[in-house]
Amino acid sequence: MRIDWWTLGLQTVNVLVLIWILSRFLFRPLAAMIEARRAAATKQLDEANAARAAAEAERQKAQQEAADIAATRADALKRAAEDAEAAKRSSLAAAREETDRLRAAAAADIARDRQQAAADASNRASRLALDIAARLLSRLPEEARVAGFLDGIVTGLADLPAPVRATLGADGAPIRLKAPRALTPEEIATCRARLTEALGRPIDIAPVVEPDLIAGLEIDMPHAAVRNSLRADLDRIAAGLMEPAP
Amino acid sequence: MTSPLTLDAVFHIGPVPITEPVLVTWAIMVVLSLVAHLMTRRLSLHPSRSQAALEAMVSAVDSQIADTMQADPAPYRALIGTILIYVLLANWSSLIPGVEPPTAHLETDAALAVIVFCATIFYGVRSLGAAGYLKTFAEPSWVMIPLNLVEQITRTFSLIVRLFGNIMSGVFVIGIILSLAGFLVPIPLMALDLLTGAVQAYIFAVLACVFIGAAISEGRPPRRAEAEQQETR
Repeated sequence: MRIDWWTLGLQTVNVLVLIWILSRFLFRPLAAMIEARRAAATKQLDEANAARAAAEAERQKAQQEAADIAATRADALKRAAEDAEAAKRSSLAAAREETDRLRAAAAADIARDRQQAAADASNRASRLALDIAARLLSRLPEEARVAGFLDGIVTGLADLPAPVRATLGADGAPIRLKAPRALTPEEIATCRARLTEALGRPIDIAPVVEPDLIAGLEIDMPHAAVRNSLRADLDRIAAGLMEPAP
Repeated sequence: MTSPLTLDAVFHIGPVPITEPVLVTWAIMVVLSLVAHLMTRRLSLHPSRSQAALEAMVSAVDSQIADTMQADPAPYRALIGTILIYVLLANWSSLIPGVEPPTAHLETDAALAVIVFCATIFYGVRSLGAAGYLKTFAEPSWVMIPLNLVEQITRTFSLIVRLFGNIMSGVFVIGIILSLAGFLVPIPLMALDLLTGAVQAYIFAVLACVFIGAAISEGRPPRRAEAEQQETR
């Protein structure tokens, strides 16, 4: 066995040179490229993480906006509901007011119709009473349609206030005395005498025929009137009937 | 067939005899240089298939170094990677008819082992300092100094003899069978030689890692243990 030292030395140098060559042309460029790729991957991962974080922030922002929109929507719905409720109450109030007004108008119409019906009934009753009274009085003597009411007209004249009584016939004007028929001279004289006696001074009378009186007498002056006739009684009765019940 | 223990010069350059292992090694160097230059000319972040294969190989070497030495693979990548590639190609060069692998001769294996021996000392001193590295020979006690010194020598010789024995025996077996049986008979054995060559290249590179790793971490807690200790703090 023999060791060739030249070969040993050359092979050592060869391997060292090969180590340098491969280090320079193979391992270093490849390791640098692997490192560059790792750096690029790290950078891309960082960018991806940043993008993911940004996307997450955008998602949270969108969620916040959605929540805000939902809150705004809820507020708008609540406001709309309140407005609708207010409008409903207003409409109900207006409808109720309109109903009350229509009801009041209807009640007024009903009352007016009732009043009109009562007035018509009163008129018919008055006419019926007049007819009845006229038929009854037509069976009495003609004197009774005047003489029977003379005391009443004197009493009504006495009930007038003194200043009013003082104006009756004060300027010499005759007192208008209404009667259902033409008075006879005796009846005119009697009436003048009783009225003179009631007023306490001489007066003159002017008889006026008023068939509507049916029976009785009435004094009709510009400042005073004394009614004592069947017509006046019927009018008072009709007015009493027309008065609404308390 | 000539004796593997003797070398004849093919030619001389001055007083220097150029033997066949040196010529084959030069051929391997040329091929590797051309391939490395051609394949790393246009490296890109978007790798081609060949670039991806090379990067996978470098990553595998880095991973092996990191696993074995528990250290950053960058300072040792060129040495370990070159030893792996060179031994592998040298072992497989026997497939070329008429070519005898350089690793079938003691000189080449001794050169590789000497480089690993020197690298072990270099990296050990660089890592621990000269005094620190020398102290490792007294671990665990000064009584072990002779044994540790002998171990440095014997493990280097074991590297030489292991690689030389495996490759030389393969070449001899194929040569003997070829001379006895015929032309195509040694083919299965050549296939087995491929496997043997790959395994021996891997073993040589891993043992280089182990020796250098032991030199740089002798007397220090393992890197993983350090990390665990830092985590517990």
